[in-house]
Parts: sequence; C-alpha cells; structure tokens
Amino acid sequence: MSTDTDSKHADVTFEDIDWEEYDGAREFTPLMLAKILVLGGITLAWVLDWQFGSHRDPLFTVDPAGILEIAPNPGNVEWLFTLTIAVLFFYVVVPLYLNPRMTRHYWREFKKNKAAVVSLVFLGFIFLLAVFGPFIFGRPEIDITNAYQPPVFAGGTWAHPFGTMQSGEDVFQIVIIGARVSMMVGLIGCLMIIVLASAVGTTAAYFGGMVDEVLMRFVDIMLTFPTFFLILYVVFLYGGDLFTIILILGLTTWTATSRLVRSEALQRNEEQYIDAAKNVGAGERWIITRHLVPNVSNTIITAATLVIPSLILYEAVLAFLGFGDPNVWSWGRAISVGRSDLQNAWWIATMPGVFLFLTVLAFNFLGDALRDALDPRHE
Amino acid sequence: MKAYIAKRLAWTFFATWVTLTITFILMDLSPISASGAEFVDQQVQAGMDADEARELYEEQLGYGDTMWDRYVNFMVGLATLDWGLSTTYNQPVVDVIANSWIYSFQYVFPATVISVVLGFAIGLYSATHQYTREDYAATLFAFTGISLPNFWFAIMLILIFGVYLGWFPIFYSTEHGLLSLENAHQLVLPVVVLSTSAIASEMRYARAESLEYVHAEFVKTARAKGLSEGQVTVRHIFRPAMVPLITILVGDILGLLFAGGYVIEVIFQIPGLGLVSYEAIIQQDMPLVLATVLVPVFIAIIGNLIQDLCYTILDPRIDFGDR
Amino acid sequence: MTEQPLLSIRDLKTHFHTDDGVVKAVDGVSFDVHRGETVCIVGESGSGKSVTSESITQLIPMPPGEIVEGSVYYDGNDITAMTEDGVRSLRGSQIGHVFQNPQGALNPVYTVGYQIREAILSHRDVSKAEARELAVELLEEVGIPEAPTRVDDYPHEFSGGMKQRVVIAIALACDPEMLIADEPTTALDVTIEAQILDLFRHLQQELDMSIIFITHDLGVVAEIADRVVVMYAGKVMETGSVEKIFENPAHPYTKALLECLPGQAGLEPIPGALPSVTDPPNGCRFHDRCPYAIDMCRTGEQPPLHDLPGDHAVSCIHYEDGDGDLPELEDVDRMDAAIGGAR
Repeated sequence: MSTDTDSKHADVTFEDIDWEEYDGAREFTPLMLAKILVLGGITLAWVLDWQFGSHRDPLFTVDPAGILEIAPNPGNVEWLFTLTIAVLFFYVVVPLYLNPRMTRHYWREFKKNKAAVVSLVFLGFIFLLAVFGPFIFGRPEIDITNAYQPPVFAGGTWAHPFGTMQSGEDVFQIVIIGARVSMMVGLIGCLMIIVLASAVGTTAAYFGGMVDEVLMRFVDIMLTFPTFFLILYVVFLYGGDLFTIILILGLTTWTATSRLVRSEALQRNEEQYIDAAKNVGAGERWIITRHLVPNVSNTIITAATLVIPSLILYEAVLAFLGFGDPNVWSWGRAISVGRSDLQNAWWIATMPGVFLFLTVLAFNFLGDALRDALDPRHE
Repeated sequence: MKAYIAKRLAWTFFATWVTLTITFILMDLSPISASGAEFVDQQVQAGMDADEARELYEEQLGYGDTMWDRYVNFMVGLATLDWGLSTTYNQPVVDVIANSWIYSFQYVFPATVISVVLGFAIGLYSATHQYTREDYAATLFAFTGISLPNFWFAIMLILIFGVYLGWFPIFYSTEHGLLSLENAHQLVLPVVVLSTSAIASEMRYARAESLEYVHAEFVKTARAKGLSEGQVTVRHIFRPAMVPLITILVGDILGLLFAGGYVIEVIFQIPGLGLVSYEAIIQQDMPLVLATVLVPVFIAIIGNLIQDLCYTILDPRIDFGDR
Repeated sequence: MTEQPLLSIRDLKTHFHTDDGVVKAVDGVSFDVHRGETVCIVGESGSGKSVTSESITQLIPMPPGEIVEGSVYYDGNDITAMTEDGVRSLRGSQIGHVFQNPQGALNPVYTVGYQIREAILSHRDVSKAEARELAVELLEEVGIPEAPTRVDDYPHEFSGGMKQRVVIAIALACDPEMLIADEPTTALDVTIEAQILDLFRHLQQELDMSIIFITHDLGVVAEIADRVVVMYAGKVMETGSVEKIFENPAHPYTKALLECLPGQAGLEPIPGALPSVTDPPNGCRFHDRCPYAIDMCRTGEQPPLHDLPGDHAVSCIHYEDGDGDLPELEDVDRMDAAIGGAR
C-alpha cells in the first residue's frame, strides 16, 4: 500500500479474519431461539406421543362455545406435517418477511402471471381447508340410511352438498380429508426432496472428483428405474400406511432434483466469489452453507414446487389402485370407490376428481410462475 | 467413437447389474418376502399341508438358505430367462408375459407415435409463434394435460362417452381380432387418455427447447439469407432442437406412457402387462410382480442406451470423450 | 450528391411491446446511403443502432417489435410497404447481413459449406454442385486457407476470426449491393479486427458495395467510413462526411465522444446515463447530459436535422439561429436568462 495517495484511505486496513470465531460461534438471535424451541418442541412432542400416546384417544378435547369439537389425534403423518409446516415457516416465510425489498421484487414479477395469482389464492384456500376443515366440518362417518344422496346442485340438500357415498359417508367431508392428505403428501415430500437433493447435489458439486462420480453414478442408476414402477414396487414390498407411503415417495423422487442442484452448484462453484472465500481461508462447510446453498436456493425452491404435483398424483394413483392406506380417505381412494357406481352415482367419482385436478393444476401454475420470478436466467 | 460405445455399453451392464442387485435386496429384506403367509394360507385352505406349502413357496421364489444363495439363484434365473413360476397362472412367468405384452403394445405404440408427432409439432409451433393466441391456448392445454389425473380423466370419458352417449364400450373385450376395426374402436378412449398427458409433456419440452433456438443468432443469420419462415423453422430450429428432445423422448415420455398404460389397463380391463402386474400385486404373486416391474426397467435401460448413442451421432459438437 | 441514394431511411420508428411498457428503440431516424460508400452508424450501447439496421430488412421479431412509422426506400421502393415475399427476396440477394457475435451466428449442426450453399440456393437457380463450387470460391475470397477441404468442416472447428469470415462469405453469397455489418469486429482481437477491416475495404473496392457499418469504436470509423451517422437514445444527433465529423464535430454529444478517445488530455467521461427507453424525456434526448443544454432543449421535440455547410447536418437547437456554432460554456446560463427561460 503506497502512502502518498491515501489521505482518504488511511482508515482502511487489512485485518485477519479469525475463522474460529465464525465457525465456532452460533449467534443466538431471538429468531434462532424461536426456531430451536418450536422445532425442538414439536419433535419432542411427537416422540412422546409415539411412546406414550394412545392410538385411539385424542390428545385433548376442547369444545369452545359448544359448537366445534376439537379433538386432535395426530398420527405420525400429522406430526411430520406439523414439523414440515414449521420448517417451511421458518425457512421460507420468515426470510421473505425479513427481506421486504427482495420480496416486493419477487412479488412484482410473480404478479405478472394472472393464472398463478389465482392459483395461489386457491391453494391458500385448500390449505386452510386441509388444516382446519376436519375440525370444522367433521370427519366422514358411515350412515347407511343416507346412502347415495345426490349433491345439492343435482337434487340433493345442503346437508350433503356434494352428496354421499354407498355407505352414506358425506362426500364433502371426504373431499376435505382428501385435501389434507394431498397437502401433507405434497409439502412433506417437497421438504424431503429439498433436503436430500440439496445435500447430495451441493456436496457432489463442491467436492468434485471421486465423490462427485460416485454420487452421480448412483443418481444415474436410480434414475434409470422408471419412477412409477419403483414406487409401485417399494410400496408393494414395504408400504401400507400413509406415513410409510410418504416416506417412500420422498425417497424415490429426489434424484432428478439433485442433478439439477448439482449443475447449478457447479456453475456457482466456478464463480469468483467462491475463490475469494477460499483465498481468505474459509472452511468447506462455511463455503457450502453460506455461499453455495443460498445462491442455488432459488433453483431448489422452484424445482421443489414443481415436484409437488407429481407427488400428489402418485399418491392419488396408489390410492386409486388400492395400494394406499386403507384407513385413510383420500381423493384417489374416493374416485376408485366411485368408479363402480358410475352409472347411478356419478358424483362420487367426479367431485374429488375435480378438486384433485384443480389442486394439481394450481401447483403447476404456481411452480411455473415461481420459476419465471425467481430464476431470471431461465427465460 | 468405438471407445465411447464400448464404454457406454460397459456402463450399461454395470448399471443393470446394480439395479438388479438393489431390486433383489429390496425384495429379500421386505416383510412380504419373508413370510409368504398369504400364499401358505391359501394353499392350506386348498388342502395342502402347511410345511409343504411353505417349502413350495420358497422353491418358487428360488429360495436358498442364505441371502447369497438366494441372490445367486435370482441372478442366474434372470439371465437364463427362468423367471420362476407364476403362482396365480401356474405358468412360467415368461409365458405369461409373452401372452400379454401384445395387448399393451397395441395401444402404447399408436399413443407414442401420436404424442411424439403432435407434441413436437405443437411445441415447435408455439415457440415460433410466441405470444400469439394459439401459443396461449397451447400452453393452457399443456398445463391441463399434465395436471389431469389420467385415471380420473379415463373415468370421466367413460362416464360421458360410454355411459351417457354410448359411443364407446366401457370395458375391453378380447373377442375381437387385434387388427380388426372393432378392436380399434374400443381402443380409442384408452389411446386418447394416454396421449393427452404425453402430448402435453412433449409439447412443453419441445416448446422450451425450440425457444432456446428461436432467439438464437444463427436463426437471424438464416432469415437474413432470405429463407422462408418454414425453412428457417425446420432447418434451423427443429433440427438442432431435435437433439436434446430425443433425450426427453426416451427418458420421460416412455416412462409416462408405461405408467399411464398401467392404470388405463386396470380401468378398461385390457389384459396387458399392466393389468397382469396389478393382479399379481393383489395376489402377492411374487415372481410375476418382479417380472412385470423389471420389464419396464429393462426397456428403460435399453432406451437410455439407444438415446445416448443417437445423441452423439446427431450432434457434431459432442466430443466422444466427454460424458 | 446528385444521384439518388441506394438506401433512404425517413423518420423510422421501431417500438417493442414489453411487459414493462413500450420500448421506443428507434424513434425517428433518417439518413441516406449512396452506392459504393461506407456509412458508419456510431453510438453507445442502447442507442438503437442495431435495431435500425435490423429494421431495414425487418429482421426484428414482430411481435413484440413493430415498425410504427417511417419508410425505408431501397433503390426507390419502400421496404416497409412490401409483402413478406418482397422483403425476403431482398434479404441475402440485395442486402447482406453480418452480425456481431461470430460464435452464435453459425448453426452448429450444419457444415460451413452447407450454410453458404443455403444462401446461394435460396436466390439463384444453380445446381448443388455449382453451388458447392461457388461456396469454395467465396471462402477463398474471404481469406480462408485450404478452402476446398474446409468447406466441409463444422463451425466449431473454426476460430473466432475465421468464423466471422465465413459469416461474411454467407452475406456475400449472392453479390449483394449493400452489406449491413453490425459491430462485426467487436468480439474479436485487435489483430484479427485489423484483418477483417482490411477484408471489408478490399471487398468494397472489388465489388463496389455500399456498406453500413455499425460500431461504437471511433477509431474504426476513422479508418473505413466515408460518412458517419451519430445516434443517441433512438434518434440521430448528427450526420456528415467523416472529415466533417472528426474535424468539425457539431453536436455536443459528438464532441464529447471524440473527447473520450484515448490520447486526449484529461479523460472525462460523459456524466449521467441513457434516458429511460419506455418514457423518454421531452426535448432533445441528450439534454440531461449536455453541458450546453438550455431550457429550450428540455421541451418540445428533438430538433430536426439542420443542414450545415458541406456534407453535414446536426440536430441541435444552438445551430438553428444561424450562428453556426455552439455558445461558450460560460454563456449558457446567460442565454437561459436572456431567452426568458421558456417553460
């Protein structure tokens, strides 16, 4: 540094970064604390429920104002779903809130796609229905006296707006449960895929060499197995209840996304800010988590959103074929049941199908618009 | 080039071997394989002694005492086309497959041709006519096509065209000859359902790939030469876009068609590989389930190989050393 | 110049309809090109040079682009009024194009020879064998060594400079009367650039072509131009012979550009940035960055091109009062007060 030119630069110096300080310490912000409490709390509650909770009795029963009876009896899937929602809240919603300028920019781009905005509203409605619906509208019960009621717009009553089934269950209630199942499948699966694909993809891209070869060859092999048949095969061998099915779906579909993540990460790896970080002495984990992952995250998010429709459809097909959870009503199962009564009770197969179609369509519109908004290089 | 082909073949063999090994391990460790309880139950009810039944079951599965024994039996059996005996048909599995594949092929093949041709064409048209009304309509169709659950779509079509209008039969009947007009008639709905999602997917990919080239500099050069729009589209957009599109053809479209066909056969009761597989799963006919899962896998592996080789031949830029 | 110009652009306006509004890329451009002369269009990135040249043969994508107004007369006929077929018959046969980026200009899946033959066969009725021979000749003409073998090579087997020569060969395939070259040397090394410029000069002499050469490099302009058109923000600021422009630059923008050339004392960048493309300001497009701007410069329309002595015209209000020159910088504020500061 020459001394004659810098009268205004005299206050700039080079400092050595003490990496131990960064690598070791974790800042205990209120946000971090909240994350630990909430996520940890849910996990703990899940474990306790699993160990000590009863299968049939609800956790608690609350009856505000005598109208609604809230008696949650969460199974493994519901716990995982709660955890997923919490994770998505902390890692997606909160960052959006904390970066208003970026969020405004994304929203401006996203808004240009009218279909996507409508889809977002629709999905929000479905999500609320899925989470709160069963408590508000009740769960389907068998009622033989009420069999085969038509929907309200085809000669029925408002007591059963979408009609009833062969054994008298209310189709509207079934549609709501189906919404819940599809939302759970979609969101939990999405999170699983994000975690798995990111981990494998960024690691392969960053370490390169043998690690990359082995990981990607493995991914290649998994990809040659047609996904549908892989799912069918594994569900046949191990499946049974919804929780297992969701796990299977997540474990079989992450590979395509990991290739995407890897190629994005490879491009980022070439960028000079990675070199700069290395030159300053940053450790590998630091580089991966603080430099690589955030810059690849946009691709990950869009790819993950675009997987949700497939997950929902896979679960629906499995349920339709009868390989789903026999204790759980889902849209696919309802359609399957309705198939045999097509001539005299067309609404049983039609109503859940309409919702299934619209939900998948909405997710597709959403994912497409997200890609345009988040990934400017795409077009 | 020869070195590349050899390398690619070697990898194919290796990948196939790994896939089969994993398939075996999954099967061997699963709760179903270990008990075979249902099968034993059935046989006992039919009058067989329980121990005998269990032995029979294990024999049919190529059971050995250790996992390694079973694995060797499994691999040897596959290689020698002795895929075991189907417990439901009481025939060798290969025979069952030989009898039923044609029923699948008869509608998958036309569906493939239709979807590839229409999908490419619509996609290419969309890309070269971006922002027009036709483009938006095509895009809407594409979204609908990939979002429509094929089983529900099939049922709706049956409801409208089979039950209410009576234009098409509700169930498939094998009494018509394969090449007869009646057969073609009853295959219309299945082919329509299968093609819809395939066309939609194909179209999206074709549009996306073509778009990359629509705005390419060399397209401008081609126009500047005075070529007509048609010549520009076919020679300078379609031809380069074809290269990556072939990748997608085998990878995704074929998978889509097989998966779609499975459900369609169940709904329309077409006795092809899909329906056979479905009933095998329900009956827990292990050898048949295995075989009907492996057939699409083998087809996919071979398809991938062919497609990779085509890719290298068609794109002069690809260096045969790269991967 | 008494003879009719080969190309005559009058008040051309090309706009693009985008999600963010209408981009007025070319907003009223007029100039002429005579036979056998080289006209250089100069301006910074975003000034509308490329869009102007592509509008001549309607190579801009339409939608979202649109030629909203103006005429382009080629050899007496208005191209903007022609049918698709009419325009297409001009492209390649009368007017050839060379683009900026040689890397992307050639289709990677066809051989170089195929791409040249394609140009030939679309306008001339010759056999494939003859076309192939012509292709080899063209390659030799543009200086590709071992042309008979290289004619069957693929573009990726050529270097950047060689690729550009191939592109030029394609443009010349049908003996056009006019060549439009859009920054053909910007992406090349300086030494290669010198070779390509030599090639242009040689071709022009041999074939008596007109050349429209777009560039932002004034050094290149000095080397090859006969006449110059200076563009800024979609409009023409000044036109004239190359001598007039370099020795008597009239428009403040031209002056500032010349002062940016290395070798001048005290490198001063032009402060400010290009005006908004969707919402251009009133008055002269350059007023925001012009040291000579007075209030009248900020209202109304861009001043029309005003003839100056010799082959020279300028769009600047200071020349309209017959004084023939820009005021002194110190006098600018005084002028504002004197005129009364029109609002």
